[in-house]
Order: sequence, then C-alpha cells, then structure tokens
Amino acid sequence: MSEYLVSKFWEGVNNEELKGCECENCGKLMLPARIICPSCGSRDLTDKGYKGTGIVKTKTVIHVPLPRFQDMSPHGVGIIDLDEGVSISGLLVGDPEIGQRVKAVYLEDGEKKLLAFKPA
Amino acid sequence: MSLSRKIAVIGAGMTRFHHKVHADKQSREMFTEASIEAAGSVDNGFDLKDADALYLGYFSSDNFEKQAHTSALMADWIGVNPIPTARVEAACASSGVAMNMGIMSIASGLYDVVIVGGVEKMRTLGTGDVTNTLAMAADASYEVAMGFTFPGLYAAMTAAHFHKYGSKWEQLADIAIKNHENGKLNPKAQYQETIMDIALKLGARKGLTFSDEMDFLRSDLNAMVAEPLRLFDCCPISDGAATVILASEEVAKKYTDTPVWVAGIGQASDTMALHDRDDITSLKATRIASRQAYDMAGINAGDINFACVHDCFTSAEMMATEDLGFFKPGEGGKAASEGRTALGGDKPINTDGGLKAKGHPVGATGVAMVVEAFKQLRGEAGAHQLGDPSYGLAHNVGAAGATVSVQVYGR
Repeated sequence: MSEYLVSKFWEGVNNEELKGCECENCGKLMLPARIICPSCGSRDLTDKGYKGTGIVKTKTVIHVPLPRFQDMSPHGVGIIDLDEGVSISGLLVGDPEIGQRVKAVYLEDGEKKLLAFKPA
Repeated sequence: MSLSRKIAVIGAGMTRFHHKVHADKQSREMFTEASIEAAGSVDNGFDLKDADALYLGYFSSDNFEKQAHTSALMADWIGVNPIPTARVEAACASSGVAMNMGIMSIASGLYDVVIVGGVEKMRTLGTGDVTNTLAMAADASYEVAMGFTFPGLYAAMTAAHFHKYGSKWEQLADIAIKNHENGKLNPKAQYQETIMDIALKLGARKGLTFSDEMDFLRSDLNAMVAEPLRLFDCCPISDGAATVILASEEVAKKYTDTPVWVAGIGQASDTMALHDRDDITSLKATRIASRQAYDMAGINAGDINFACVHDCFTSAEMMATEDLGFFKPGEGGKAASEGRTALGGDKPINTDGGLKAKGHPVGATGVAMVVEAFKQLRGEAGAHQLGDPSYGLAHNVGAAGATVSVQVYGR
C-alpha cells in the first residue's frame, strides 16, 4: 500500500525526498501519492520516489504573496515537468526560465521545509 | 443529452456590484434587493412565494461573514419558507453550477418555478485575508502550500500561453480596456469608467500625465501582481448579489410573453491542481462543457451572438474565447486587439463589462451573467444593447478550471 497521506508527502519534503507512487496496473506515475489511479481506477499503487530533476513547464513571479510567503516576496513559483514524467508545483529560486533544467532544493522555513527548484 | 422540458428565464435582477456602496449590508440584504428586482422584472408580475425551490451560489460565507447555512437564510429573508433550498459551493462557479442545478430540477419534473441566486460579501476582510480565502479554491495542500496564489495560477497559465503561442501582454491590456468601455455603459458595474478615465484621475492625484491607456497600463501605477499579470489584468474584490427566476414552459406562459429560453447546458470538472494537466494553455473543462451545451442547443460556436465569459483575469478571457470555439487556439488575444470582441465586433464578449469592470462578487457572478443574457436577448440592456441577438452564452469557471459551467440562452 502506498503512503498516500498529505502529511506523508510533507514529511518526505522535510527529509528532502519527493515521495509519490506508481500504478501497478497501468504504469501511471503520481506525485504526490494517491489512493486511486486517476487513469485506470486501480488501487494497486506502490511507493515511488522521484529524483527532483526536470524542466520548468511554466513560471511566474508573485508580487502579492500569501501572508506565509511575505518574507521572500517577490518570489518565483512554477510547475516542473520531472524527468520521470510527472509534474509538480514548487517555489523557484535563481529565476529559471521556461524550458530551463532545474533540480529540487529544500528551503528552511521554521520547523517545516519548503519545496523549491533552482537551475541545475 | 437533452432537457426533458423546455425551461425559461422569466425574470432577472441584480444589485450593483461594488467595493464600497454595500459596506453596511450583509449578504441577506443584497440578495433580497436582487430578488425584489428579479420579481419586478417578470412581465405579468411575480410573487417570490410562487417559487417551488431556491438554489444559491455562495463561495465562502463561512470565511467572509462567519455564516454558514446561507441558502436557508436567504429563503427566510425573501419570505419563501418552507420551500426547499440548497447552497452550491464551486468556488467562482458556485452560481453557474446553481443555475444548472435549478434548470435540472425543473427538467426533472419535480418543480415548475425555481429561484436561482448568487451572492458574495467580500469586503468584510482585508486584501491579505481575501487573498487567503480565494486561494482556498486551489489545492491547499499541493499548490497553495507551494507558494501559489490564485492570481499566480492564472499567471502561470498566461506565461505558458505566451510561450506556446507568442500571445502578448498588450493583447491582455486591450481586453481590460474593452471591458472597462463596456462597464462604463452598465449602471450595475463596479467601474463605470474607462481606463483612460481612471488614468486621468489617478494621474491628477499623483501629478502624472499619460498619453493614452497603454502609457498608463505600462506605468508603475499598474502594479505587478503575478508576472505577467498586473493590477488591471485582475478583476476587483466586490460585494453583490444576483437573482433569476426559472419556469417550465407551461408555467412560463402565465408570467410572460417574452421568455428567454435555456437552449443548452453543460458542465465539467478537471484536476484540482494545474500541475496535473497536460495542457495548461487551455481549460479542458470549458471545451467539454461548451460542446455539451452547443450539442444540446443544436448549434455551434459560430451561432453564439455574444458571450459572458469568466474573465477573472484578462488572460482568462483570452483563453475562454479560444476554448469556447470562437477563435482558434492562440488567436484569442489577437481577436481582442482587432476589436472583434468589442460591442461593435463580430463576437462581442462581456458586453456588461465582465468580471474586470462589472466586478466579481464570487458567488454572484454565474447568475449575473444570466442577468446580462436575459437583458440582451429581450432588448433591455440599455446603453450596451446589441442589435437583435439570438443566442447568448454564460461561461462560469471555478478557480483555475476544476469546475466549469456553461449555458446557452436563446429567444
């Protein structure tokens, strides 16, 4: 059984790991993990870790941030197409452009870490 | 798919949408005001007690007013107990979905007359708390926790659209300019002024002069929100309410000789998180919902004479006009810059000023679009009336497209 809980994903981020899952039936990759495969409906999902390398699919720089991100404003955020074939949102540091290669970095933010990507 | 009975809109009303004029009012007072206007618009008169059920769109009463159970509250305040009520929450598509539910409830044969309303009281909170509340419409755990705001998600889609198609911010600015021109002609709009009117007013205050709208929109007074979206690419924070009255064909005849017919409806969902979609330059749910509505109406996109599309951001209007099939993918911005979506264009979009200029009290927007369609199709839209339209479309989007509702209305 996959570790699908939201809390497990963020526990992984705190340990500098990207934890998702893979469907044993159709091979679909998921990040974060889920309980039901959205492609084929199977519940036969197993844990899969992701390396955290990929390219920037899209990005923005946020000038009116949520209160939690006020201290780092203006800050980059985007969607990353990971090399394994899934995508995830994350903060951007070092201002990478769309199409640029990036790798995951884990930013200290009090007790919890934040997921970010910087130019590889 | 088809509706098993013909269903008409027989009345429609709304408050002005505004950030200040409703300061002393709660949602209940605004909703009552809109409902009284809707009842008054029914040609042969209408008693709100004639309704069999009430559906209400209200996104976040819990946060904005510390009030839940708002459909029962509204029914109580407009004096229609004991009819059944339900509140629909689908982010910014709350009342577009409530419309579809009201339509389906009559199509089911259960009811003959249904009130559908939408309301949002937003100006109880400061901008930071409003930003937090709107962000709740995105995936709190996997998007908002990553640093995305709600405008940030649309900015990310916009950047992808620019990258893929070469569309430009200047095209978005043309959409904002056009929607303010339309809003100036709509007495219910929050901003009844062109962007040049605003540029002159703000410029005078700051000792600055601007040669034209674009000069102002490129200035620091048009602050960056989430690149490439600036303040005037974003709809405002608004209070307001809207109400429409629906009736089955047999019953509608009693109330009016000039009903507006529901020609077709559609609705679709998509992944909550933007990052789980293959194409982020388009809303798949808009494409699916609109094709359902066109098929039900027996028409195609080319037959639509005007549309109220969900322009929570200028780029959302650009993408919507492509996804609804009015323009080819990547050509929505160009069409706007060419004036094709203006009141005098071949495909007028957001004739009432859209969310940008009319305002966007989140839960009221889907029904307010129907108010505009009702008025346009009856020739009652006043200064922004089009010449004799046959079909109008309402397109309401929840957050970044995880919910989309569409209706086509006809005469």
